[in-house]
Amino acid sequence: MGKSEIREKINNSYLRRALKNFAAAYPVARAKALEGIDFEGLRSRISESKRGVLRRLPELVAEFTRNAEKAGATVHFCRTRDDANRTIHRIMQEQGATFLVKSKAMTSEEIELNHYLEKQGVRCLETDLGEWIIQLAGERPSHMVLPAIHKNKEEVAELFSKATGKELPADIPTLVKAAREALRSGFLTGQVGLSGGNVAIAGNGAIGIMTNEGNARLVTTIPRTHIALIGVEKIVPDLAAALDVMEILPKNATGQKITSYASFIKGPTGGEGRALHIVLLDNGRMELALDPLFSEALTCVRCGACANVCPIYEIVGGHVFGHIYVGGIGLVITPFLHGFDKAEDILKLCIGCRKCNEVCASKINIEGLIVDLRDRIRKPTGQKFLFGTFMKNRKLFHGALRAAYLAQKPFQGEGGRIRHLPLVLNSDVGGKSLPPIAEKPYRDLVKEGSSRSPLPDPRSREKVLFFTGCLADFVFPEICRDAQESLELLGYQVSFPQNQLCCGIPARYSGEMEVARDMARLNIDVLLAEGADYIVTICPTCTVSLKHDFLKLLEGEPVYHAKAVKLAEKVFNYSELAAKRLGTGDRGPGTRGSGMVNGTPHAARETITYHDACHLRRGCGVYEEPRRVLRELAGVEIREMTDCDKCCGFGGSYSFKFPEISAEVLKNKKENIKESGVTTVAVDCPGCKMQIEGGLETDGSSIRVEHSATLVARRLRR
Amino acid sequence: MVYQFAEAAEAVGSTVKRFSAMAEALRYLRDLIKEEKVAVSELPDEYAALRDAFPPADPCEYPQVRFCLSSAQAGIARTGTLLLDLGDPTGRSATALAPIHLVLLKESTILPDLRSAAPLLGAALDAGTNAYLSLTTGPSRTADIERVLTIGVHGPRELHILILEGA
Ligand code: SF4
Ligand code: SF4
Repeated sequence: MGKSEIREKINNSYLRRALKNFAAAYPVARAKALEGIDFEGLRSRISESKRGVLRRLPELVAEFTRNAEKAGATVHFCRTRDDANRTIHRIMQEQGATFLVKSKAMTSEEIELNHYLEKQGVRCLETDLGEWIIQLAGERPSHMVLPAIHKNKEEVAELFSKATGKELPADIPTLVKAAREALRSGFLTGQVGLSGGNVAIAGNGAIGIMTNEGNARLVTTIPRTHIALIGVEKIVPDLAAALDVMEILPKNATGQKITSYASFIKGPTGGEGRALHIVLLDNGRMELALDPLFSEALTCVRCGACANVCPIYEIVGGHVFGHIYVGGIGLVITPFLHGFDKAEDILKLCIGCRKCNEVCASKINIEGLIVDLRDRIRKPTGQKFLFGTFMKNRKLFHGALRAAYLAQKPFQGEGGRIRHLPLVLNSDVGGKSLPPIAEKPYRDLVKEGSSRSPLPDPRSREKVLFFTGCLADFVFPEICRDAQESLELLGYQVSFPQNQLCCGIPARYSGEMEVARDMARLNIDVLLAEGADYIVTICPTCTVSLKHDFLKLLEGEPVYHAKAVKLAEKVFNYSELAAKRLGTGDRGPGTRGSGMVNGTPHAARETITYHDACHLRRGCGVYEEPRRVLRELAGVEIREMTDCDKCCGFGGSYSFKFPEISAEVLKNKKENIKESGVTTVAVDCPGCKMQIEGGLETDGSSIRVEHSATLVARRLRR
Repeated sequence: MVYQFAEAAEAVGSTVKRFSAMAEALRYLRDLIKEEKVAVSELPDEYAALRDAFPPADPCEYPQVRFCLSSAQAGIARTGTLLLDLGDPTGRSATALAPIHLVLLKESTILPDLRSAAPLLGAALDAGTNAYLSLTTGPSRTADIERVLTIGVHGPRELHILILEGA
């Protein structure tokens, strides 16, 4: 996966349109299919059951094998891909068969079965329409459920015309009919049929297969020998667990309530001469099942939803975003099934928006696993120094940022903004302008006292420590000032500890866990030293780091872990803390009292839109408070935009590593903002502000992007 | 529930007809099938009157036959799904090959949802015998080319569900 491949996908207009349409249609269909279903309850049950299976996988493999064989099936446990390929070939040879007719099985793609068998002189025919297209094109699937989503009807017409020897028009019903006719003889003459399987039920030895086209029923019926190739993690204890999986799969996969066909097969049916072989594929799964951190990845039911909602998948598709398995989970399991060398590049492609976690049928912390896996891959040269020495040393890091202020001057364009970033950072920023580094960071303004609290400081007020985060400190000191002043106007006593350090997220996301751990310890000591009531952040990424990641990073260190727990209880986002003052009418002693906002008549209120930062909405589960704070404290009305919680494409250093992808994700966001017809977008994240503001400005748009703190401060100061 | 079943089944492209007597169902089938041969799958003797009204196709003719007639063990109202017991591969191939699949369903066997069908499925799968059960919902479909829904890929293009009321 190189830059040129990414560019090629971005410029493939059919692919882009197809994925964009799907991204828009999918959530609607999914929500409809899930009507009346307790999704959280269902996926919690699946997650629990599947985790339970992993804990006793060898035992369940034995139980399944026993029961399936009692019903007359033959079960083959295959440790490796080679092993599985050879086993399937042997079964064919025993039948004297040279023609294998197949329905869809991702496991077959995983072991590259067609490739292996064809070298042995066995003909393989894919009968799932999407898989057949892919087979004719000599490609691999770009989606686990819709394998040929990247092919348009013109390409399909060309492929089918070549395969059938007829001149076929690019008309979908005609093409489907042609496929029906062409593949019919395959079903009737195929000597052995191969299918995958969605579940394997230990308790009775049956397997379950779901399809829409009806090809699996033909493949498992007409040839007298049926081979089912199933990943060993598909084993479920009983029918109830199987039904849970089969219930969620179609809803999450394509937004269908149920597939046209769901079949349960127990043993061979039809008497003499009929055989069922079940090939259970290990290929690293048994070992992964024992991994304390990553075994979770095996609870996946392969619904593909994590790809369906992924903003990066939407831009580049599955040939870039994954290997054989695609989407978020593809990034996670590729290293275990296909080796770390295959995974190195793709693991960097995730922007960390956590959309996938929200929809996962098995409640997997996909994004978290991706971040943790980066720790295990090779790091680029120079990264060790950047994070290990440079960023950890506050004076050095901040010194460099100050130097950058001077160095950037010649690059500043109109309005002081930068179109090319000098120094260490990449010059290719994907066609957006960047705000300059401020002349004086907030930490200096605080020292000089130019940001003095406008209010007296009675002791009775709750004490808040302000953790600004690097970006706000050095690029947006005015947001810091707005946050501090507005919180003070709301009755808090706010102070800024000078020794605070980068929250460690950039290091953690780059796989430098040791450095992140060091930063966590240093920050904990600084923030707990003053015995404050709250720690407030204005950057959700910092919140996630302080509140959640520190706990995880320091799991193995009892003393610091206990401190991290204490810290986590005190950390809040700006809006959460501001929201604590809502409805009480209480702004704290010494403030100017309440009722300032509620006096504004509705009609006079400005209407704005709100962009949910990924780390605030899905990282902290906070989305109501910001809206309430904006309505009640900033006195504005909110008109929601489409996909208000979809990533803006910033992702910290992501926008510098993959500027083109970042710019495309941003483009979608800008369109939605413009469509909402407002003149202001509120955000709660300096990163989102930088990204969206830069994008809008490049377009010549006059829409302003403001941090909530700014809007609240403006209002409260009046 | 029969109403909910019909609505759900029609929503996914099935044709649903309701009959209060076997003779009415026969009339419907006659109009549709006329003199053509029919592939019969899993049709117990209680339906002999319907089964014997049409010339039976030989299994070797199944790939060319237009109609397949069978009966369901149960229906699922929520999704308009049929539970078919397809243990015999010859009959099973008929239900998968014929472009038009006609299924008889007794009103009394309609269950509210998938979960309530679990005991039936469980009993069939836990029994000592081998089994092939199919939950069938609507005709065969694909969205593999440009995600455009197209009916009738490999399986039936039409699924007619004949509900026998009071049965
Ligand atoms: S976190 Fe976001 S970018 Fe990463 S895999 Fe999940 S959906 Fe895609
Ligand atoms: S990781 Fe979750 S969302 Fe992705 S395919 Fe697996 S079950 Fe579905």
